[in-house]
Amino acid sequence: MPNNLPEIIEQVKLSLGAFVPEISLSALFLLVITLDMVLNEKRVVIPMVSLVGFVITGFFTWQQLDMPNQEYFLRMHVVDPFAVFFKFLFLGAGALAVLITMDSEELGEKNVANIGEYYAVLIAMVLGMFLMASASDMLMMFLALELVSISSYILTGYLKHQIKSSEASLKYIIYGAVSSGLMVYGMSLIYGLTGQTNIYEIAKFISANEVDEVTLTLAALLVMGGFGYKIGAVPFHFWSPDVYEGAPTPVTAFLSVGSKAAGFAMLIRFFKVAIPAEPTGELAFDWVNFFALIALVSMLLGNFAAIWQSNVKRMLAYSSIAHAGYLLLGVLVADDLGTQAVMFYLAAYTVMTVGAFYVVILIANKIGSDDVNDYRGLGKRMPLTAAALTVFLVSLTGLPPTVGFIGKYMIFTALLGKGTVFLTLAIIGVLTSAVSLYYYFKIPLNMYLRESEDGAETPMESSAFANALAAFLMILTIGFGLFFTPLANFAKNSVIMLVMN
Amino acid sequence: MGQEISEFGKVFLFLAVGVIFVVLGFVTSRLIRPHRPYTEKLTTYECGEEPKGSAWVQFNIRFYVVALIFIIFDVEVLFLYPWATIFKQVGGYALAVALVFLGVLTLGLIYEWKKGYINWVVPTPNIPKMPTKKFEKPKSLEKPKVAEPETTA
Amino acid sequence: MHIELNHYLWLSAFMFTVGVIGVLVRRNAIVIFMCVELMLNAVNLSFVAFSHFLSDIQGQMMVFFVMTVAAAEAAVGLAIVISLFRNRQTVNIDEINLLKG
Repeated sequence: MPNNLPEIIEQVKLSLGAFVPEISLSALFLLVITLDMVLNEKRVVIPMVSLVGFVITGFFTWQQLDMPNQEYFLRMHVVDPFAVFFKFLFLGAGALAVLITMDSEELGEKNVANIGEYYAVLIAMVLGMFLMASASDMLMMFLALELVSISSYILTGYLKHQIKSSEASLKYIIYGAVSSGLMVYGMSLIYGLTGQTNIYEIAKFISANEVDEVTLTLAALLVMGGFGYKIGAVPFHFWSPDVYEGAPTPVTAFLSVGSKAAGFAMLIRFFKVAIPAEPTGELAFDWVNFFALIALVSMLLGNFAAIWQSNVKRMLAYSSIAHAGYLLLGVLVADDLGTQAVMFYLAAYTVMTVGAFYVVILIANKIGSDDVNDYRGLGKRMPLTAAALTVFLVSLTGLPPTVGFIGKYMIFTALLGKGTVFLTLAIIGVLTSAVSLYYYFKIPLNMYLRESEDGAETPMESSAFANALAAFLMILTIGFGLFFTPLANFAKNSVIMLVMN
Repeated sequence: MGQEISEFGKVFLFLAVGVIFVVLGFVTSRLIRPHRPYTEKLTTYECGEEPKGSAWVQFNIRFYVVALIFIIFDVEVLFLYPWATIFKQVGGYALAVALVFLGVLTLGLIYEWKKGYINWVVPTPNIPKMPTKKFEKPKSLEKPKVAEPETTA
Repeated sequence: MHIELNHYLWLSAFMFTVGVIGVLVRRNAIVIFMCVELMLNAVNLSFVAFSHFLSDIQGQMMVFFVMTVAAAEAAVGLAIVISLFRNRQTVNIDEINLLKG
């Protein structure tokens, strides 16, 4: 890194060429804010503009696939296929979030006066996720994490007149602020131990010099506290059920998919790169065992607590805690196979979860409730929607021929052959997936095999567009389950993270 | 004492002298003054009248909005200080970067302005209802209706 | 006597602990945000102390950004408390318990 000012300025100027997707997202954000000020008819124009902006950003991101792996902006921002894979994921999740917001009545004209700010904050959140996936410096990780977190606090509390929304937002911000505080304290200790903030430099320092083990363990645990909060793993999961239940459902869908994927991107990058193996051959901080413990408890708690939930969104929150556990199983297998499995499963998880939440939105638009018991008899009244929900729940459980099955299969096979501890974890993963079958299938049971309480039989299908989107997601779920090779190969080629240059 | 007092020591002495000064004042007055409390002396002072209502007044939201806008722009200026130290050396590029930075935040200011969040909201005065009739007996003083004596058959 | 690095670190750890205990114990939402600010300022102190004793400017750069983020987070948090107060007329978090379990 250069020391004098003109060279630093030169490097920054050259780095701008690698920053084009983020610049286009920032320009989109400013454009949406300007449109929000200027226009009166916002409900259709602003989502369309956002979607066009996402497509343009996707084009620029696709151009980044051919770039050489390199760090930019004074070693704070990295462009490699790993980051590009996640950027496509975030764009997909963001576009789906915009689409499902357009159909939601919770955020519709009756309840929310000004929707322009919502789309602007959504775009800012996608920008933050981009930065999270590309961060290679602890400062950048903290800033990007906070951008995503603060945007999600705002979006969670967006329905100002509903107590649930404000309460969920308050709980979210208190947990989030404390976790960020823990994370920066850990980062300050790592900075004090090594004198570096760039994660590659930290790895070099730790593998070359003797570092106090206890302090490094404490610091890495604290940093894990911040990351664990973002992905929703136990014991940092307490905000999940309340936030998922209280937030408007499109926001819940985007949070559960986008911020979880971004958290995993940052987690994988930090722990694979920054904590290297010592000269003795062991890891400087034994994060594999620690992650194993967290993954185990997440799977157990998520699956068993979801059984007693009667609110669909809360049940999906506990199930997403369990999925964080499964994903952590893929992370702790610290080689390429595990990382590829995690990336594939995150892409699959995006499609499944957004689909499931979208159907919950459509049902809530019609019957106005999120309770499982109110889903009775919907099989007859909303056939296409009920079928889509069943497909998504089958995929979340992990049954063939859906993409969820392929994802879980890849993660569990990555664990085999690595030792008895990993084998035990894989077996527990399979057993807890079997438990999840019970609570996922309560919903189709209610929809198809029970009669609705008032005996109503009138069909109440959603609009054609809504059905088309649900059908599209359903086709993706089953299609990727049968033809998973392209996505799996894309994930495999993207595992090339920037290694030390 | 042959040692010099460090800078921290000077600050500590200053603090200690300040604290002692105030404590001495309080303690002396406590020892000298008479202490004969009775009920009326211990009530809250409200310009000679009977104290009415709670002493805590509702905080008004408009102060918070002003403070929030101030803190955001204050942090923006905070980022301009290190920029200013290298501006002379770098020249045009630094100016462009600063204009972009300030431009984004100015867009935010224009947004707030247009949406009306900077308007100083005067709270509507709460005029209590006064009785319209010349003299109105309060309801508690009305004579309770005498129940008709039951005629027992 | 000289002020060594570990004095700063002890002070920072003490402030951080007080902040965490404050968040866990206090019931008023605004006081909880004050304790969060205390935590982030303890981290700032730690960064500046390390930066001085390692003669590296990176720590002070992080302080800039941590301060900015703390200000933004406090602003958003207080806005959420106001929105909650308009609905429930209380900032006591014991009474804000609609979402259970």
